[in-house]
Amino acid sequence: MTMVQAMFYLMGFITLASGLFIAISKNLVRSVFMFFVTLMALAGLYVLALADFIAITQIVVYVGGILVLIVFAFMLSGRETLANLQQQQSKFIRIKKLPAILLAVLFFIVMINVLFKTNFDGLPWIQQAIAQKNTIGTNDAMIGNIGVGLMTHYLLPFEAISILLMMALVGAAHISRKEKGI
Amino acid sequence: MNFYLKYFIVAIGLFAFSGFFALFGVYAERKVSAFIQDRLGPTETGKFGLLQTLADVIKLLIKEPIIPAAADKLLFMMAPAIIFVAVYMGFAAIPWAGGLMPANLNLGLYYIFAILSVETLGILMAGWGSNNKYSILGAMRSAAQIISYEIPAGFAIISVVMIAQTLNLQTISTQQGILSAEHSKFLGIWDVSTNGGILSWNIFRAPHLIVAFIIYFIASLAESNRAPFDIPEAESELVAGFHTEFTGMRFAFVFLAEYSMMFLVSMIAVVLFLGAWNTPLPNIGVVNLADWTTGGAWGILWTVVKVLVLVGVQIWIRWTVPRFRVDQLMNLCWKVLTPLAFICMLVSGVWRLWVM
Repeated sequence: MTMVQAMFYLMGFITLASGLFIAISKNLVRSVFMFFVTLMALAGLYVLALADFIAITQIVVYVGGILVLIVFAFMLSGRETLANLQQQQSKFIRIKKLPAILLAVLFFIVMINVLFKTNFDGLPWIQQAIAQKNTIGTNDAMIGNIGVGLMTHYLLPFEAISILLMMALVGAAHISRKEKGI
Repeated sequence: MNFYLKYFIVAIGLFAFSGFFALFGVYAERKVSAFIQDRLGPTETGKFGLLQTLADVIKLLIKEPIIPAAADKLLFMMAPAIIFVAVYMGFAAIPWAGGLMPANLNLGLYYIFAILSVETLGILMAGWGSNNKYSILGAMRSAAQIISYEIPAGFAIISVVMIAQTLNLQTISTQQGILSAEHSKFLGIWDVSTNGGILSWNIFRAPHLIVAFIIYFIASLAESNRAPFDIPEAESELVAGFHTEFTGMRFAFVFLAEYSMMFLVSMIAVVLFLGAWNTPLPNIGVVNLADWTTGGAWGILWTVVKVLVLVGVQIWIRWTVPRFRVDQLMNLCWKVLTPLAFICMLVSGVWRLWVM
């Protein structure tokens, strides 16, 4: 087993174990902080797949932004509300959860099916990319490609997302401003 | 195995350095504050009180670690480690001299920016884990402040990246001196590729970066929770903010993180704006000062000197400027620094396209 493989299995194990902890744990705040571990391990997996830009972006967006916002929401909501939220029924399988279980099991079956039916080494687009030497090495700078791609091929989705974010910003500013005369 | 051993040695060396710097930094801070307030500062322990911080560290190490009964023990114990590790990991991608750099990452700058945002989470963890109103208030203030000031800092950094056209910190450093492969122009008019020195630093290659540098410097003060932006640990209202409950070793780690953060943000400022490891002395005629003072140990010397000057300015500001109020802090960030940083970014684009 090479170092890379060992790292892959280690990261994979951490991702899965922390993910399970998040799903099972009754302590909401702890599971949020555990989510941080999941995200870091996932970033490690991205790095192993030579997608370092995505790995770092994930840390910036999820750890630096979304996780902090979630914790903020916890801190503003107070401990009593949280305590009420945490009093879940202890039974694992209940009739109310049937749709969720059904969905999860079906999705799992689909995933397993895909996993076993695909021959990952023989995928045509991978073969084609190898034949055309259209691959990236460990030391290639990918950021130029991403920039050019965003400004040419994917300009419309990029702009659409910008407008969406702009709307969210305007909405947030509107909600948080002072009401006049009330 | 030697390959991995090298990385261990580098990591341990950086850790030792940050510990040493924290010792030295606390002493310097106390002496400078004493000078500014017309006091003497530490004088008793060792010559000129030089051993004072060492004694403090020994005191902290042998102190009893107290965990409040109502605290979330796991989060409480993990928090100082996460705060420190986030800062410490930032050192991995910063060049000390030409060719001397722990990890030569293509996305070095972005990586540092990302890893520093983990510190916020550590602070929130400390605040929540302590289960103390002061701590939670401090942590929330700190998180709000760091997230807000990341925006002007980010745009100031982007305006440098637009000039440098790379995120690799070693490449950015090399561009700002006589070793640069491309032509660099002083203020966009005078070709100084062979002169080097202070003339080819980023802030003089593109003068609007002086504004970006000031924006970044102010934002970096806020990000490392230094006065005048130290409302997260405002002594007069919050006792000590998010680290109220920490004692002994854990408190030492929080402190270590603060001083490492000071060094790290100054180092980023030096690399991006002030010529990194390049000499400030230009070649003038036959006196090739820049050629004589470039390469080898000179690089480390220039980096450390420049960074220490910036750290000195941070300390100086801390003891002269009074603390901001929360609304003043947010006003400064959103109404002054952010628009200015946007303008800097625009000017950078224009400068790169038409002047350089």
